[in-house]
Amino acid sequence: METKKDSQTIAEYIKNWSRKHSLFVMAYGTGCGAIEIPATMTSRYDAERLGIRGAATPRQADVLLITGYLATKTLKRVIRVYEQMQDPKYVIAFGSCTINGGMYYDSYNTINVLEKYIPVDVYINGCMPRPEAVIAGFKQLQDKIARGDADNGTRYKENLDWYRANQQQVIKNWRMPDYNW
Amino acid sequence: MLEQEQALLSQVTSAFPVKGKVMRNRRVEVWAESTTVSSILMYVKNQMGYQHLNHITCIDRIEDTKFQLVYTVFSHQTKMTLFVKTFIDRNAPVMDNIDHIWDQANTYERELREMYGIQFPGLVGAQEFILEDWDEMPPMRRDFKTEEYSEKTFSSLPGRENTQDVRETISTRSGEEIPDFAKKYSRD
Ligand code: SF4
Repeated sequence: METKKDSQTIAEYIKNWSRKHSLFVMAYGTGCGAIEIPATMTSRYDAERLGIRGAATPRQADVLLITGYLATKTLKRVIRVYEQMQDPKYVIAFGSCTINGGMYYDSYNTINVLEKYIPVDVYINGCMPRPEAVIAGFKQLQDKIARGDADNGTRYKENLDWYRANQQQVIKNWRMPDYNW
Repeated sequence: MLEQEQALLSQVTSAFPVKGKVMRNRRVEVWAESTTVSSILMYVKNQMGYQHLNHITCIDRIEDTKFQLVYTVFSHQTKMTLFVKTFIDRNAPVMDNIDHIWDQANTYERELREMYGIQFPGLVGAQEFILEDWDEMPPMRRDFKTEEYSEKTFSSLPGRENTQDVRETISTRSGEEIPDFAKKYSRD
């Protein structure tokens, strides 16, 4: 931690420190993985002791969990949720399905590589990752925030054209709002 | 043995020109022409107490260029299940709409329409059921190449080509021996 402190200004350091201790997670689950979230949040693993808790709407949330395979139909909703979230925003992707298709690699209706559509901060592998692994993933995200290099929201805006091209390749009938951020 | 089942079978076969057999305890199947299916279902529902439509299933018999449809109905009095089976032409798949007999048939028929392209004349309901913006062949047909389609549309990263055992990768990477008890689950 000390070394990182040196490379940041005091204001940045404090900002990142407080951000990493209050991660509001968008209460939205896709695929099989959402079933591990209750286990992570409730008394046995109690993620709230690390500042991780649920948020009801995209505008209140910091973290979007993609908990498993994404149907193209769900991808549409995920993109809208992600675009409505306020900066700073982070994405954690669960399971093999989000990395490279997982066991749904040959499905006609699920995407294979999540990173082509929205930027991902942390991948947690496994099919399904257990709550320990989920918490380890959150820990990794917290370290990343503390280092000050979790700025995927900006990366998304800068490379919007590339992401849009990929998104429109799978979402054929594109009727999505444009934002002016 | 199986008197109840025999009685059900003979009641249906005497009322309609169908073949059938007792499959096992509390399971009876009949094979019907596709045009008589809706009257059979109407009859067993209204006259024989088979009130409950469990499911409508489609099987793609691509070798015979036919779709097989299976209507599963259940009686709460006798606890018996009746399967009404029929074939329709795969190249021009049309089947009678039965959602005037059971409302929930509407859902199954919309799914069959989307997943197999079977048309039900008079079926009311949105054309899209589960899929969105689908413009290919109905995806549950067996000649739809799902892996090819997935590769073309969603293109995966390299690394899926071989079926190398993940334990081997881990053991070479970390320099650990695969324990003996695990070797017997190895692929080769
Ligand atoms: S990685 Fe496994 S558990 Fe996760 S969504 Fe895919 S199949 Fe389900």
